[in-house]
Amino acid sequence: MFNQATADIQPVLKVEELEGGWDDLLVLENVNLEVRKGEVLAIVGKSGCGKSTLMHYLLGLLKPWKGRVIFKGSDIWSSPEALQRARSKWGVTFQSGALLGNLSLLENVMLPLKEYTDLSERDLRIVAYSKLDTVGLADFADSNPLEVSGGMQKRAGLARAMALDPEVLFFDEPSAGLDPVTSGSLDELIITINSTLGTTVVIVTHELASIFAISDRVVMLDPEEHGIIAVGAAAELRDRSSDGRVRLFFGRNLAAKKRSDRKCQ
Amino acid sequence: MTNPEKLIYSGFTFSIHGVLEDNEVDFIREFLDEHKRSIYDSGKLVLDFTDSPGLDTVPAVVLYGFCKELSRAGVKVSRNGASDVIEKLFSTLAQFDTSEPRKTRMSLHARFELLGKDVYEFGKTLCELGHFMGETLSAFAGMVIHPLKVRWPMVLYYMEESGYKAIPIVAVLPWLLGVVLGYQAGYQMRVFGAVTFMPALIGYSITWEIGPMLAAVLVAGRSGSAYAAEIGTMQVREEVDALRVMGFDIFSYLVTPKMIALLCVMPFLVLLANVTGIFGGLLAGSLFLDLSPATFVSELGKALIPLDILWGMLKSVVYAVIIANVGSYMGMKVRGGAAAVGKATTSAVVLSIFMVIIADALLSLLFIHIRPGLSM
Repeated sequence: MFNQATADIQPVLKVEELEGGWDDLLVLENVNLEVRKGEVLAIVGKSGCGKSTLMHYLLGLLKPWKGRVIFKGSDIWSSPEALQRARSKWGVTFQSGALLGNLSLLENVMLPLKEYTDLSERDLRIVAYSKLDTVGLADFADSNPLEVSGGMQKRAGLARAMALDPEVLFFDEPSAGLDPVTSGSLDELIITINSTLGTTVVIVTHELASIFAISDRVVMLDPEEHGIIAVGAAAELRDRSSDGRVRLFFGRNLAAKKRSDRKCQ
Repeated sequence: MTNPEKLIYSGFTFSIHGVLEDNEVDFIREFLDEHKRSIYDSGKLVLDFTDSPGLDTVPAVVLYGFCKELSRAGVKVSRNGASDVIEKLFSTLAQFDTSEPRKTRMSLHARFELLGKDVYEFGKTLCELGHFMGETLSAFAGMVIHPLKVRWPMVLYYMEESGYKAIPIVAVLPWLLGVVLGYQAGYQMRVFGAVTFMPALIGYSITWEIGPMLAAVLVAGRSGSAYAAEIGTMQVREEVDALRVMGFDIFSYLVTPKMIALLCVMPFLVLLANVTGIFGGLLAGSLFLDLSPATFVSELGKALIPLDILWGMLKSVVYAVIIANVGSYMGMKVRGGAAAVGKATTSAVVLSIFMVIIADALLSLLFIHIRPGLSM
């Protein structure tokens, strides 16, 4: 999807008064959140703070106990069609890539295209190839997912998520299990997609480097509060937040600073 | 959802306004079909993207295919005012247009090569398995010398899992088979007035073959697969490597408890299978063939000697070694992820049943020479 007006900051996805969790365990309460069109939003926080839970609610995989999730003005839980319509407009890349192991990379990318369009086999292949080309994997189209590296699996997962030109791309821990160079190139790819295609990006992560490199805004969750404790640009939160927990999260490099100070003495 | 204003055709020119989206493909196709005739007649088409910031890939490929069809028919097609993004999209589509599906047909030569590879792999597996069994048995020998080193709680656990919990199925299936066998054989024998030999037939077939074999197949299916899955999962989660690094002997830690447990329970499972199988034959005789239980038992007593029962239990010891080792070996061989565990369980069952039958054939040859009244 293309961003027709870059200055436009209307929310594409909105969470109102959300309350929810797993079984009887309350994880999130009173969560209000806006994902603005064309931005890169990072959802961050300690392990167990409910990042993945919030992602599940944003994706409509869990039904909120209370509150609403609104995509482009309509509640995704208002009807099954609304949820289906919303789902066709967003793409998700999972932590492991979640590619089907018995299909080639190309066939994996063709999967959503086959389901949602009536293109001919030839056109399907052309589109799938061009998507793989976007993530730099056109040469590996016929490879089996299990034969390629973890970074490549994630990129192929991204190609599949982009197959239908989504308006919102969700990433669950894109840098988990990747070396800094590979995860850096994945970050770069995300920025390229965001800036050239104007795709809105929601990313769940706890990689500090990645947060500073790509996010426009950060939403920080906390397990004790069962919700959001800070919203803002990453650098701003690090430098100016009055909340100790926020500074602690962003200030992990304090340890490194102490170490270099000690060396200087 | 679609907006007819987005595509306008006038005098050689398609003007595209706004963003063409994935869900507008039908509308785009309709529009193209509608104007196809007049474009062919005019022999020229300009795609004007001046008012369009971009388009989704699916509509793009539809437009691309349409333009290609036109140029083949001799219509001159050009693009006007397209942004870099759009130009790049079309050039990418053109780049991959030539790609043909991968050829999947295999030559005869390749087929033979594959067959050879499979045979080689199978031979290799058997060799490795032999090596594996050797290791297990040597660990087992060490444990016979130092019985306190055996992980007895684990042995008890596996005895419960593979023995005690297998009792219902190992009791019921041979019983059913005994009924069927007794009825069908007795029915044929009655034609010749030989129905009194039915108990002997049941006794021999159950104690020599069906009892031990059925018990082995059931245990291979229940426990061999479970062992493969257990060790395979540990392998995937690097637990086996962790044990190795901590200095444990994998064979005495993981494999021998399973083998000892099976060695303990298998003979009794076979005994159980024998008893219920023969009882099934007795039931068939008294229900369908007018063969009273008393006659059945006395005829059976004339035919069977203690060695018949004992031999089945002895065979089961060999089967126990095979099943425990094949299951553990297949688990150890797991590399990769969860899918490999599934494959390992399947091949554990298949290979252990295969090897049990081979062992059974060899032991039968031996039995002919041992049992009085059999050798010619």
